[in-house]
Amino acid sequence: MQLASRTFDADNISAVQELYHSNGWTDGLPIVPPTADAVQACLEWAMMPPDQLIGIEPVRGLAITAEKIAVNAVMAGCLPMHFPVVLTAWTAMMQEPFLMHGATASTGGCAVLVVLNGPIRLELGATGSFNALGNSDRATAVIGRAVRLCLINLMDVRPGVIDRSTLGHPGKFSYCIAEDEEDTTWKTLSEQRGVERAASAVTVMAAGAPRQIMNEWTTKPEEILETFAAEMRANLRHYSIHPGNYAIVIPKQLREHLQAAKWTKSDIAEFIHQRARIHRREWADVGKGAVVRDRGDSVYPAMESPDQLLVIAAGGPAGGFGAVIPPWLGHKSHAVTVPVGVCVDCEPPKS
Amino acid sequence: MSFQVLDPTPGTAPPAGKLAPRLDTLKGKTVGFVSNGKEGTKGFFKHLEQMLKDDYGVAKVVMRAKSNYSAPADAHIADEMKTWDAVVSGLGD
Repeated sequence: MQLASRTFDADNISAVQELYHSNGWTDGLPIVPPTADAVQACLEWAMMPPDQLIGIEPVRGLAITAEKIAVNAVMAGCLPMHFPVVLTAWTAMMQEPFLMHGATASTGGCAVLVVLNGPIRLELGATGSFNALGNSDRATAVIGRAVRLCLINLMDVRPGVIDRSTLGHPGKFSYCIAEDEEDTTWKTLSEQRGVERAASAVTVMAAGAPRQIMNEWTTKPEEILETFAAEMRANLRHYSIHPGNYAIVIPKQLREHLQAAKWTKSDIAEFIHQRARIHRREWADVGKGAVVRDRGDSVYPAMESPDQLLVIAAGGPAGGFGAVIPPWLGHKSHAVTVPVGVCVDCEPPKS
Repeated sequence: MSFQVLDPTPGTAPPAGKLAPRLDTLKGKTVGFVSNGKEGTKGFFKHLEQMLKDDYGVAKVVMRAKSNYSAPADAHIADEMKTWDAVVSGLGD
């Protein structure tokens, strides 16, 4: 397999680290040396030639090849089996509705939330249970990191260069979760979004940091969901009034109350769509009176329609917690779901 | 232990924008403003328009705003730019 990338010689592991840090090729953390063997192993696993075109970045016309994604995936700590998920996430991000350039360059400072569904989660050991939004497992950690390193190195999304984030958030190191499909009666996120349950899929969303909620004092669905809706109303007041894809993460303790009452994800989305909305005049309560003008009575929903809510089952088994993940900028960027397009049960070809 | 490692970047610079040749004078010229559409551009660009006309003799200022402030300028604005002598692309953050 002939790789096209330039090569560099380094005397030892410290020299490798300094080479990558000094060129601005890292996220500040140490990287795994991307040797030709490691990169070829990723490409062989996905059964792709190095020059396979994954897509053209739509604003600056940059060609994104499998080899370059593989180099960055290895640097992030990916094993070959993680690589197809990184490829799929990038395929999704390059679709026009995601608005990748805007979402990664904006002062708004969002990160790319990656949600894994389907059997590939189990093969990779992506759990979706304890610490789901943190360092839950190796697979989600390295996949999320690989997405960011690709942005840094393939599109110059470096702080102060293309990345103009005012603040950013910790998800810009890695922001990947797996849905807990085994411990729920609900449809999976990707199933809700049109992918068959048996298929593995990746959903990407331009997302702000998670906002944690707690309500362990009720079993009523309406009261549990009112807490989520209230956090979304707070986001509409304190951050942005624009409607778009919100995600909510519901761990097992609260999920069981909702499932016991036979509430589906669609029921949840319908309820929250009705409750997560504010009047523009409420901006005056939080110091934004200057932009209320004569439109105080106008109503602003968090989502334009219930299907813009991504309901994700994930989190450890105990605790009446949940999370609201707000969009970067309302409807400017849309969440995109793409099936993983390789046979994850196949062995890599013999070399 | 020594390593041979690979370049994680495309290795070639992305297509860069190029500034238009500088005008000898702004007097009698048409200057276009392409705003990102944010609130902060309104007063600022209005003031700049006045300065360009009063202090530099600009004949005409054309104000346009992108429909999505996080995306490239709409095609019709890009087309219209060709009829202007100079363009100011501005942010309203």
